[in-house]
Amino acid sequence: MIGRMLQVVVDAVSVGGLYALTALGIGLIFGVMRLINFAHAQLITIAGYAVLLLFTASPVLAVLGAIIAAALLALVVERTAFRPLRGADPAMLLIASFAVSFFIEKVMIMLVGSRPKGVDFLPALAGQVEVVGIRLQLLQLVTILVSLVLLVGTTWFLKSTRLGLEMRAAAENFRMAEVLGVRANRVIATAFALSGLLAAAVACLFVAQTGLVQPRMGLQLVIIAFVGTVIGGLGSLPGAAFGGFLVGVATILLQALLPPELRVFREAFLFLAVAVVLLVRPQGLIPARGLKERI
Amino acid sequence: MASLTQSRWFPLVALIVIVLALAGLAELAPAVMQRRITQGLINLVAVVGLYVFVGNSGVLSFGNVAFMAIGAYVSALLTMPATAKAVFLPDLPAFLATAEWPAIAGALAGGLAAAIVALVTGFPLMRLSGISASIATFAVLVVFHVVIGNWSSVTGGQNSLMGLPIYVGLWTAAGWAVIAIAVAFLHQESRSGLLLRASREDEAAAAASGVRLVAHRLFAFVVSAFLSGISGVLLVHFLGTARVETFYLDLTFLIIAMLVIGGMHSLTGAVLGAIVITLVAELLRQAEVGVSIGTTTLAAPLGFGDAILALLMLIIILFRPNGIAGGREIAFPKTQPQTRT
Amino acid sequence: MSAPIDPPAGACLVDVQGLVIRYGGVAAVQGVDLRVHESEAVAIIGPNGAGKTSLVSAIAGIVPPAAGTIKRGGMPARGQALSDVVRHGIALVPEGRNIFGGLTVLENLRLGATIRRDPDVLSDIDAVFVDFPILGERRDQPAGQLSGGEQQMLAIARATLSRPRLLILDEPSLGLAPAIVDKVYALLRQIRDRGVALLVVEQNAARAFALADRACVMSRGAFTLTGTPDEIRRQETFDAAYFGVAMSAGPGAA
Repeated sequence: MIGRMLQVVVDAVSVGGLYALTALGIGLIFGVMRLINFAHAQLITIAGYAVLLLFTASPVLAVLGAIIAAALLALVVERTAFRPLRGADPAMLLIASFAVSFFIEKVMIMLVGSRPKGVDFLPALAGQVEVVGIRLQLLQLVTILVSLVLLVGTTWFLKSTRLGLEMRAAAENFRMAEVLGVRANRVIATAFALSGLLAAAVACLFVAQTGLVQPRMGLQLVIIAFVGTVIGGLGSLPGAAFGGFLVGVATILLQALLPPELRVFREAFLFLAVAVVLLVRPQGLIPARGLKERI
Repeated sequence: MASLTQSRWFPLVALIVIVLALAGLAELAPAVMQRRITQGLINLVAVVGLYVFVGNSGVLSFGNVAFMAIGAYVSALLTMPATAKAVFLPDLPAFLATAEWPAIAGALAGGLAAAIVALVTGFPLMRLSGISASIATFAVLVVFHVVIGNWSSVTGGQNSLMGLPIYVGLWTAAGWAVIAIAVAFLHQESRSGLLLRASREDEAAAAASGVRLVAHRLFAFVVSAFLSGISGVLLVHFLGTARVETFYLDLTFLIIAMLVIGGMHSLTGAVLGAIVITLVAELLRQAEVGVSIGTTTLAAPLGFGDAILALLMLIIILFRPNGIAGGREIAFPKTQPQTRT
Repeated sequence: MSAPIDPPAGACLVDVQGLVIRYGGVAAVQGVDLRVHESEAVAIIGPNGAGKTSLVSAIAGIVPPAAGTIKRGGMPARGQALSDVVRHGIALVPEGRNIFGGLTVLENLRLGATIRRDPDVLSDIDAVFVDFPILGERRDQPAGQLSGGEQQMLAIARATLSRPRLLILDEPSLGLAPAIVDKVYALLRQIRDRGVALLVVEQNAARAFALADRACVMSRGAFTLTGTPDEIRRQETFDAAYFGVAMSAGPGAA
């Protein structure tokens, strides 16, 4: 009984970690540009396909390839689609983001087809370990570990480096940061590259878990993580991570606790939560401090 | 005649004439072409529906396809022959299982259902501003997609419903297109529409001058949902089947793309977008089907058409954000164009 | 326009000629000439809406001119990115303090020095804490928790950390109690004594006059009087110059 509960907890934390990373990637971009980057889904997808391409060579190469692919795509998207739109009104940014995401997805379908492909990535992690007498999946523990490392790492980067400080300042008041000499292009490019890194990590873990890549794999993750970003508080990075985590945990708990007939409506409940949070506490659960514009 | 061309009713008349002319031309075209144009007219109703809300309030809505789905399924359930329902939906409550309403009643019921859902969901949502409201409409889309897709006893869930009465032909679609254009035009010329548009640019100023923004937005949202619901009805009674997957992200993108490329801020833009993009989509589809050269077929890969559409949309956003119509309504050439702000 | 003043010795840090700034169809600044030299303190005073903020915003690179030229340190401003202005030795303290409320006091200061790569940054920040023990006490607290006066001190100290040759301040006394304004101006005097030029925009003429070598009275987008503070005060037309010719149009007409 305890064992079963612990398994659910580990499951929840592991999924929570994945969604926290995804939500953080979305939140980073929103922070510096007030842009909801729908294309984050494609960053995850392209990382997944990089793994598909390289996993037979070596897992390390696959992970590196995923990171490079996602970061590159992020930078290209920023440079070509979003930079010209800097300062445009939020509705335009939203539409553009939607179009970019759709475009990349369709190009990928053109290149690789729409059928899922099997990937036996990191089979070593498929095994189980015994912890205090309970059997847990190794992959889940690795997921939790990787999520923790990346969250701590990102926090360290933002708090302790000059570039991270500049990013936080730009997120709060872009114009004033520029007046102080913060270079907009560098800060925004860094945010995109970092979000690419996070997307790659999520992709690797997700592919290892599901054994599949398909053109919509990023989309299903991002749509849910997106709920987390909103619930946690748009513009707040701790909020995004926490919100993503909450949502991940909620999906597993809902799965475990809902009666079987209602389980399929899981996502509907989650999205209802978005609407409720937006109404009751539009700034989110952990709102960004000193956020200049109300969203 | 001069007074008509200069009057504010000109755009309405002109657009209706264009639609009817298009249908008239289609009469002379081969059957395949007719079907495409009928599809285009159905798209037109959907785009005009989206425009009523987005164009006037300035708030992007991702949720209109959910209203299409609601309209489609309500009409389907009310008009499907009982025999078909017994096959696909054996668990329907008795009232629905035996209902075989006439087409027009089913259509109106569909539109009304969508409008009611919009009223209920919009009531809290319209208080949100800008991006939050858009995100909330995205939530509406997903929620209804999940609900419709899983409420198997009522909707058939992921399975298609087949055997729907097919009554939407060229002139039915054209008729509804005309109605949609008229409704949209009357709305945007109404006091509510004008007030909404005026406050689009500056919410704070509008609120300060006492405009009850939430009420006007909600009104636009409901009208928009009604028209979107109708377009959903038309779609399923044109295809003869209803499938929940139709009403999700791809269709959302298509309708938004039509509106953005045509021009978000005028009714002419909406109509133009629907017609132009339907044509373009048809050409692109041909490219995917391919051209036979000798014994080989030269064809673009799957997804090509959609990618080009997305590219078009991005180009418009970057270089001509007001779309082809540029925020203006169609005007008789000799006069100054009426600027739709 | 009054008689031109002999420019003081020293490099010309900012050279504005024939500046015109428009917002939509309205000209906020209509043909302004201004030079600021090394180590001098210049005040621009005038009522609300005179165009003072637009003027310094253009000098600081935030707003593009519709006509006229701006040179910073001899180099034309056209094509310079906003984030490069501070690298040319011009630091701006905009109206309303604009500190980063979500970041700590120390982080705000570090941002002031973000363009610098030399090791003296730390000792400069320590010097700030010596001059302002309050800021030192609250170094790790979110800057949003400081009082208005403390935030203003922080904003000014932050701006000095880039080691500017010219410090532009837009309404530094706005919304502050007189005792705090004393401290602010004492700080500005200190900064000026260290050789940094000052360009101060103020509605509060008295304070600015006490500090400045030269002053310009601005009304309806143009300079109506320029000279040393004494010269200006002695002018009978001062009130008219300050409030704009059409005084009968009521307050805030300019």
